[in-house]
Amino acid sequence: MEVRAEMVANVWKVLVEPGQAVSEGDELVILESMKMEIPVAAPAAGTVVAVAVEPDQVVQEGELMVELRA
Amino acid sequence: MSEAPMDPVESWSERISDLSERRARSLAGGGPERVERQHEQGKLTVRERLDLLCEPGSFVEMGLLADHMDPSLGDRHLAADGVVTGVGIVDGRRVAIAAYDFTVMGGSMGGVGEQKVARMRELAVRQRIPMVWLLDSAGARIQQAVGSVFAATGALFREQVAMSGVVPMVAAMLGPCAAGTAYIPALADFVPMVRGTSSMALGGPHLVKAAVGEDLTDQEIGGADIHTKISGVADLAVDSDEECLAVVREYLSFMPSHNREAPPIAECADPGDRMVPELAEIVPTAPRRAYDMRKVIEAIVDDHHFFPIKPDWARNLITGFARFGGRPAGVVASQPMHLGGVLDVDAADKAARFVWLCDAFDIPLVFLVDVPGFLVGSQVEKQGIIRHGAKMLFAVSEATVPKVTVVLRKAYGAGYFVMCGRAYESDYIVAWPTAEISVMGPDGAVNILFRKQIEAAPPEEQEQLRLTLAEQIRERIDPYIAAGWSAVDDIIAPAETRAAIVRGLASTRTKTLDRPWRKHGVLPV
Repeated sequence: MEVRAEMVANVWKVLVEPGQAVSEGDELVILESMKMEIPVAAPAAGTVVAVAVEPDQVVQEGELMVELRA
Repeated sequence: MSEAPMDPVESWSERISDLSERRARSLAGGGPERVERQHEQGKLTVRERLDLLCEPGSFVEMGLLADHMDPSLGDRHLAADGVVTGVGIVDGRRVAIAAYDFTVMGGSMGGVGEQKVARMRELAVRQRIPMVWLLDSAGARIQQAVGSVFAATGALFREQVAMSGVVPMVAAMLGPCAAGTAYIPALADFVPMVRGTSSMALGGPHLVKAAVGEDLTDQEIGGADIHTKISGVADLAVDSDEECLAVVREYLSFMPSHNREAPPIAECADPGDRMVPELAEIVPTAPRRAYDMRKVIEAIVDDHHFFPIKPDWARNLITGFARFGGRPAGVVASQPMHLGGVLDVDAADKAARFVWLCDAFDIPLVFLVDVPGFLVGSQVEKQGIIRHGAKMLFAVSEATVPKVTVVLRKAYGAGYFVMCGRAYESDYIVAWPTAEISVMGPDGAVNILFRKQIEAAPPEEQEQLRLTLAEQIRERIDPYIAAGWSAVDDIIAPAETRAAIVRGLASTRTKTLDRPWRKHGVLPV
């Protein structure tokens, strides 16, 4: 399960790390765009396999941020 | 004078039993095997659907005894020619219905069946009653339609366009709706889709494979997930036929029968002046923090009941129906939970379409504003954010229904205008103490207003200077300044939001707006 950026944004906070178990709706990353915090939630429960972003970087629309395994 | 010839010897009972047999044959649709197949697919039969949609015994069928009348099909009987038509009572009002029967030659659209549906459209307009399609059809009966006889066809869509905004139109997707017939839902006002069984596409799997080489199922091309999450063509995904017919009934409960009738007012036990203290728990005062606007809506509407339209598409903006003090209203609300509630091309599209729908049927609009503005950047410019934004501006400006605006927090730039700012004939505009109404936020404005001054400062002092100057701008963004200029009608505590909206809607029942005559405006799309 791949969690991708829905819009161009700055990565403000990364809240999970590989190996961590998450429930559906848990916040994985908080983006910042248009002067708003944009929380990105887990689409389903699973385990974080990889985190592809770090704070202060810019993500493009569609860019992979977090990979989850159900 | 000679005696009249003897009538043939035939009793009434024979005539009546012949009629009964003909009726029974038509009511059986495509026969027990095909009915079983329909049930196996998780679908109800057309008669079962009508029983769920209409009040018991209210459906008056027209054309039960219709058949294909096509010599090339020989003796074959096609019950009702594959589409059941008539007028039934739905939520207390008469509704013209065309329900396709998939058990009869795949619900294919034949000549006689289409005449029956044309009669329903005609009745709907003449009697000013809503029109409902229950779609479950393989498409045009190609055996009849192929060839250049086609040159004379297509009136169905033109007629549907002429009906638009005169009577409510609902197209319930309960099965396939392939090829050109997908324009029936496209031209309807409300389109629910059943997950897993319904689909719509201009080209079904066979055509798509032949034409563009893609090997896909009808669900992959045009299932409920595609149209309620990605394309935005449909309004609501549901899990079963039963649920689908229930949402059709509920949708109609918000609608008048036609555009010159007032929307129905429901009994309401929920006090109009009910305080809503929980809003202070839901909405953070920090302007950058996200929250779920859906919770705000559910807290303020009658009985906490909200009927969303397109909830899974362009989720950065919420649209849907609710009641305030029993009166139906269309809610247009920013959703800070998704993309920060920013307006992008899809959100603008969704809002414009919804505002046009409400305005057509005299349903007042309530705007809940917490918008950082329109999205900027090369991506959205390529998508035509300007014309999509203009479309929303156009729809909100044109709407002559009562409009009430509540500014919760951010209301920046053109985002404030399209969310029915003061200049857009809002009849009652109120703001929370946290409201920030301005052409842009302080962090953006500082770089434009003071760019030269900041660049002239030593590099190590620039950031501090930027923050200090932003703070000066922030002081000028204050709802009490807007209230001081009387640019908003009142500042309210969050708990007073429901009462303010009920008040705002009640005070605008006599709203009258006369625009200069025109044939129609030139719509940005």
